[in-house]
Amino acid sequence: MTLAETLSFLPYGKYALYIWLSYGITFILIVGLFVRASINYKKIRSQLKNKYSREND
Amino acid sequence: MWKWIQKLASPKVFYETTNKLIPWFFWPFIVLIIIGLYWGLVLAPADYQQGESFRIIYIHVPSAWMSMFVYFIMAMAGGIGLIWQIKMAEVVAKVSAPIGATFTLIALSTGAIWGKPMWGTWWVWDARLTSELILLFLYLAYISLNNAFDNPKTAAKASSILAIVGLVNLPIIHYSVKWWNTLHQGSIFNDISNPSMHPDMLWPLLIMVFAFQFLYGVLALVNARDEVLVREQNSRWVRTVVMGE
Repeated sequence: MTLAETLSFLPYGKYALYIWLSYGITFILIVGLFVRASINYKKIRSQLKNKYSREND
Repeated sequence: MWKWIQKLASPKVFYETTNKLIPWFFWPFIVLIIIGLYWGLVLAPADYQQGESFRIIYIHVPSAWMSMFVYFIMAMAGGIGLIWQIKMAEVVAKVSAPIGATFTLIALSTGAIWGKPMWGTWWVWDARLTSELILLFLYLAYISLNNAFDNPKTAAKASSILAIVGLVNLPIIHYSVKWWNTLHQGSIFNDISNPSMHPDMLWPLLIMVFAFQFLYGVLALVNARDEVLVREQNSRWVRTVVMGE
């Protein structure tokens, strides 16, 4: 039994593997872009905060 | 209008404007993506030839479309930065590249996954697929060229020229299905008054295209806002923004 057949109990039957795989990849990549943006947001602000407080000393 | 553009070229006004615009792109994206996904995955009927597998179109077409749209924006912003020395245009070009590269990757991978059950193969060296792969390489070249310089001005100059030269690939991607005998199917939107798709399937596709537009908008704004802070870190207003938060 192939993987596509094994997963055919899911919605979309014999195409379940392909549909869920492509939506899954898209979901992960888009969430990745948001995660990257939020890491950047925190990193930049903490780096600049450090820099400015060093300059004040 | 011209005055407004000039104002927007000031980093501080640019920062404040992006900050204000973010929710105006984020919430429409959320609403449209929920409607589009529900309509496309649940309400739309299965295709009479492709069965359920055609539902991949709802992410494949919007991301392929955005991969070209974002590239166009990136090259235009890069050109504006080159000609008028507007730093904020350089910022827009720089932050667009990783987003566009991701859209290209989504278009290529969802296309391959659809191709397996429909064409019987993940990949063919067909004109449409090959030119889209070249687009991905153009994005990657742009990103690495932009990171290769310490001086953001030199980086923007070099990478913008690359982006503008790469523009020639966009019409090649678009017309590849007409110019060459390809395996990839033709465009759905060739004739707006007579689309080659039933409205029940077309509407969710259009909604998804708009959702992806807003997605690009929100991601570009968030990244541009932070990039401005880094570039202008020596100005007083950045200090106030960062220390005040």
